[in-house]
Amino acid sequence: MYRYGWLGVLFAATLVLPQIIGEYWIHIAVEILIMGLFAVSFNMIFGYMGQLSFGHAAYFGVGAYATGLLLVKTSVPLPFCLLISMVTAGVFALIIGYFCVRLTGIYFAILTMAFGQLLYYIIFQWYSFTGGDDGLQGIVPPDWLINVKAYYYFTLFIVIVGLAIMWRISESPFGYTMRSIRENAERTRFIGIHVRKYMLINFVIAGMFAGLAGGLLGPFNRSIAPDLCNWHQSGIPVFMTVIGGPLGFFGPIIGSVIYTFLFAFVTGFTEYWPLTIGLVIIAVVLFVPGGVLGLVQTKFKAFGAGKIAKTERGSTETEI
Amino acid sequence: MVILKVEHLFKAFGGLQATVDVNFEMKSGEISAIIGPNGAGKSTLFNLLTGYHRVDSGSVFFHEKDITNWPPYKIARLGIARAFQISNIYLALTTYENIRQAILAQQRKTLNIFRTATQMAKKETRDLIEIAGLSRHANAVAGNLSQGDKKRLELAIALGCKPKLLFLDEPTAGMSKDETHETMSLVQQLNREMGLTILFTEHDMSVVFGYAKHLTVLHQGAIIAEGSPESVRSNEAAQKIYLGEEA
Repeated sequence: MYRYGWLGVLFAATLVLPQIIGEYWIHIAVEILIMGLFAVSFNMIFGYMGQLSFGHAAYFGVGAYATGLLLVKTSVPLPFCLLISMVTAGVFALIIGYFCVRLTGIYFAILTMAFGQLLYYIIFQWYSFTGGDDGLQGIVPPDWLINVKAYYYFTLFIVIVGLAIMWRISESPFGYTMRSIRENAERTRFIGIHVRKYMLINFVIAGMFAGLAGGLLGPFNRSIAPDLCNWHQSGIPVFMTVIGGPLGFFGPIIGSVIYTFLFAFVTGFTEYWPLTIGLVIIAVVLFVPGGVLGLVQTKFKAFGAGKIAKTERGSTETEI
Repeated sequence: MVILKVEHLFKAFGGLQATVDVNFEMKSGEISAIIGPNGAGKSTLFNLLTGYHRVDSGSVFFHEKDITNWPPYKIARLGIARAFQISNIYLALTTYENIRQAILAQQRKTLNIFRTATQMAKKETRDLIEIAGLSRHANAVAGNLSQGDKKRLELAIALGCKPKLLFLDEPTAGMSKDETHETMSLVQQLNREMGLTILFTEHDMSVVFGYAKHLTVLHQGAIIAEGSPESVRSNEAAQKIYLGEEA
């Protein structure tokens, strides 16, 4: 319990936060939460399963459009819309994942990206249903969430529930099976595990939570655009995870905080955002390969860290 | 009772015949060895029997069930486990986690997403660590273990699958004489006390003749002699091709 004490402190801080910061920063905080959830769902595939999905925005986008369309065209309550977002994104992940889990490594990355782009162009062109490149406007949250503070607390609640479920999964026998597939898929087959099926299940879980994160975005921005499914958008959780550290559950959230703050800060005075984030990524990859969380865990072993291992390859591997 | 039956097994890689018309049987509770010079096709044979390679032709029966070309995970679930020649473990996980993973897989609990893995299969994991002689290293990261301990862990993972039939591909490769003896005693004990059927390959002839009850000699993918250790020792073809090198 003591080990997770800092989580309690963090939780208290997130509750107090909107009372002391201005509206602009509350907006940033909501974005951090949504993108953090998105990045953690991505890391279920990247950090735990050891495969790079470069089309994870597809499920984020599908989730965003599901909730967006429901709010614009029907009067379904928001929580139900979010559930539909999860299910729809899960179905897409099931269909796309069915093909992708046959491959690993660079081929997995390319195929996930190809499917992501396919979906992007469908949404981009299908004016009658998705609004095409105009996107969807007028996605209004229900009255009780019109206030940005209220929306913050709502998002906080949904994100914490989402993270708690993913945390449970990551620590379950299924989560350890994902680690075993990452470490040695061949050995895992020979102890009687249908590796491909497990990878697909994990792909669907990750897609569902990406969909949930996407669903939260529409009513927050009041509009969505097909760019949400584009490969740029798929790159964001990759950056966040690399910055925060892929080998710990909370790494991508730290990444989301850093990335989103940096974005808000840098775009305030220069348009060279891609250059800035590029330099940051280069610095992290060269000097802090385990990301911020990896660095913290190496320096302060007690800080929520599990064990830190020097493997025989000489690289520092961390495990929560 | 026949536990494993192999009929007319063929496998070629390109133009190289790796397995040529291999036929043999194993009885339940038997401990046998496959011997042969490097490149004789021992590992290929294990790979064919455990589904790692597809066979070109021929059949493999386990308890009279045709398992030819089944995928590895299905074969493992039947109770056929293997330990690899080059230890094939989870380097970044601890010894304990390595073994627990095999046990949870055997118990079919790996699809469970809501229980905490650290709370599961505690006793089974600790018992097996004890049996494998890895208690001192239970919480060590597997990548940091010595070569001999890695092989021990490799064996323990295979045992975690609670096999009825166990394939050991050079279980003592890289071990010292003492370690070799310890490991083979354990293997013998498993065979005697739990009735585990074991097929192993080994280069060290003293180990082969010390522990195997039945020998199969492979040469260029084909069986050239088989029988009790004594009969193989006196077999002329085997002497010429294999044992001759030793003498």
